[in-house]
Amino acid sequence: MSEAMSVAGSADRSLRIEVDQHSPMRLSGAFGCAPGELLALVGPSGAGKTSMLRVLAGLMRPQAGRVVVGGEVWNDTAAGVFRPVRERRVGLVFQHYALMPHLSAIDNVALPLLQQPRLLRQAQARRWLDHVGLNAALHGRRPAQLSGGEQQRVAVARALARNPSLLLLDEPFSAVDQMNRQALYQLLADLRQQLAIPILLVTHDLNEARLLADRFVVMDAGRVLQQGTPASIYQAPRNTRVADLVGIRNRFEGEWLGPADDPGWGWLRWHSGGSGTASVVRLKVRDKGKLAAGQNVHWVVPGDAVTLLDRAAQSPGELGVTVTEVRQLAEITMATLGLRDVPGAQLRLTLSGRQRSQLAVGAQMAVQLELAMVHVMPVRTTADAA
Amino acid sequence: MDWQALVLSLELASLTLVVLLPAGLWLGRWLAYSEFPGKAWIEALVVLPLVLPPTVLGYYLLVSLGAASPVGRWVAQNFDVQLSFNFAGLLIASVVFNIPFMVQPVQRAFMAIPRDLGEAAAVSGLGLWQTFWRVELPLVWPGVLSAMVLTFVHTLGEFGVVLMMGGSIPGETRTIAIAIYDRVQAFDMVAADRMALLLLLLSLLAVAASFFASARLAVRR
Repeated sequence: MSEAMSVAGSADRSLRIEVDQHSPMRLSGAFGCAPGELLALVGPSGAGKTSMLRVLAGLMRPQAGRVVVGGEVWNDTAAGVFRPVRERRVGLVFQHYALMPHLSAIDNVALPLLQQPRLLRQAQARRWLDHVGLNAALHGRRPAQLSGGEQQRVAVARALARNPSLLLLDEPFSAVDQMNRQALYQLLADLRQQLAIPILLVTHDLNEARLLADRFVVMDAGRVLQQGTPASIYQAPRNTRVADLVGIRNRFEGEWLGPADDPGWGWLRWHSGGSGTASVVRLKVRDKGKLAAGQNVHWVVPGDAVTLLDRAAQSPGELGVTVTEVRQLAEITMATLGLRDVPGAQLRLTLSGRQRSQLAVGAQMAVQLELAMVHVMPVRTTADAA
Repeated sequence: MDWQALVLSLELASLTLVVLLPAGLWLGRWLAYSEFPGKAWIEALVVLPLVLPPTVLGYYLLVSLGAASPVGRWVAQNFDVQLSFNFAGLLIASVVFNIPFMVQPVQRAFMAIPRDLGEAAAVSGLGLWQTFWRVELPLVWPGVLSAMVLTFVHTLGEFGVVLMMGGSIPGETRTIAIAIYDRVQAFDMVAADRMALLLLLLSLLAVAASFFASARLAVRR
């Protein structure tokens, strides 16, 4: 499969897309994806993830935009270039697979190989089906006689048989049960190793995205809000909407008090959740110089920057907490902690290992925050949204 | 038993299919896939022959295509062909009359194809023609088959339009349905009986066969 793909060092095999559309629906943003990289488009339904995929595949023509894949311009509205779907070498795994119901698994996979003689076509289709791990006994079956996971493998095989220079996966795991999902994750991880092409995954399942993707593109209401590695987005979401979309649990309100004495640091007053009243707690956190004193802010702290101490608070750097909720799951424990000095604020922690057993509702404990990891964001106004 | 009339009817039904099958596939597919202003009018026109009394339809065909009409005159002058009271006129009438029976099931069959299948075909690099042969036609085939059977049987039994447009010329325009009417008029109930029964059995057979075929095709899916 790799002959055509590894044509020695030929040009740039990455993907670059820029879209700016206002009607019939808003769709705007720009991002790139390197060969061998797996990019996850995440966001709520209706965010425009699938539309981005359709623009890339050529199933949708954007009002204005440019798509370049592997050095070839597939779409450039400014130059009047639009390469039709059937002339783009793109592998697309549809959300509901879109397998031809009247064709066997092997004939479905042979469909993109029509320009080749029949026997060769069948042999290649068989190889692709073997490659994605579909049992040879099932090759002759129609989609209706296959399980969801098996259908998905056929759909992936068909996409690969196109010898694509770009692989697109639209919510590919949504119709597959959890057990099969693990096996399919493995398949996708294996494919990444073998294919030196950009791979885009559309999903609204953040766990899945974190498990599989190198980078995220966070979308909402047709716009790209932020992109970067999952770690960078979780640590420093650009605004509260991104924080909500990627499911950051420890998000709080506060007021920016201004720079501290040490350069690069500033003071943050912790406000109570909901009511927004000031608390006595002041935190010294990183100052990027973008905030004005007195400004209301939101801030987040990643779970691994919180250390839970099994004793009452002793030093000024420690905050007294009360355990308000404990949920024991199979391998982890999820705990909710109420802060003694910030009424209404709740820290949520996921714990594993030794610490789990010590937790009991009502216990008085302390936490230490690694303040360099605190990320402060301005409260998003309508002006920011534009 | 008027074998000549039976053969003529079978010929007429077959030729109607030959003309209407490609036209119906094209029109049905177009109506299923396209959205444009005024589409409802086209769809109404397609259904019109179904609701119009056959004599009315036959009357207008006669008036517009007959020897006295501009179209009839022009065709007669240029091609030396009459379009009424002969087999050619009968064929035109039969085609027009059967449009809804062919186009509507075909349109419904195309509409039933999930949209993403066409997109998957395009993404797989298939051209329009390849998509039609390898994806669309196999999927609409049960609908097309029942449309063909309906059209065929319906042509065998059509009376009003045929009488208006063709009269009852033996070997030219006297179909089996007209022959039955003639026999009844002549009080030859024995011959009418036989031909009516034959038509009944033929129709039943054809419709049943199409049902069996679509049921089998549906199971194979």
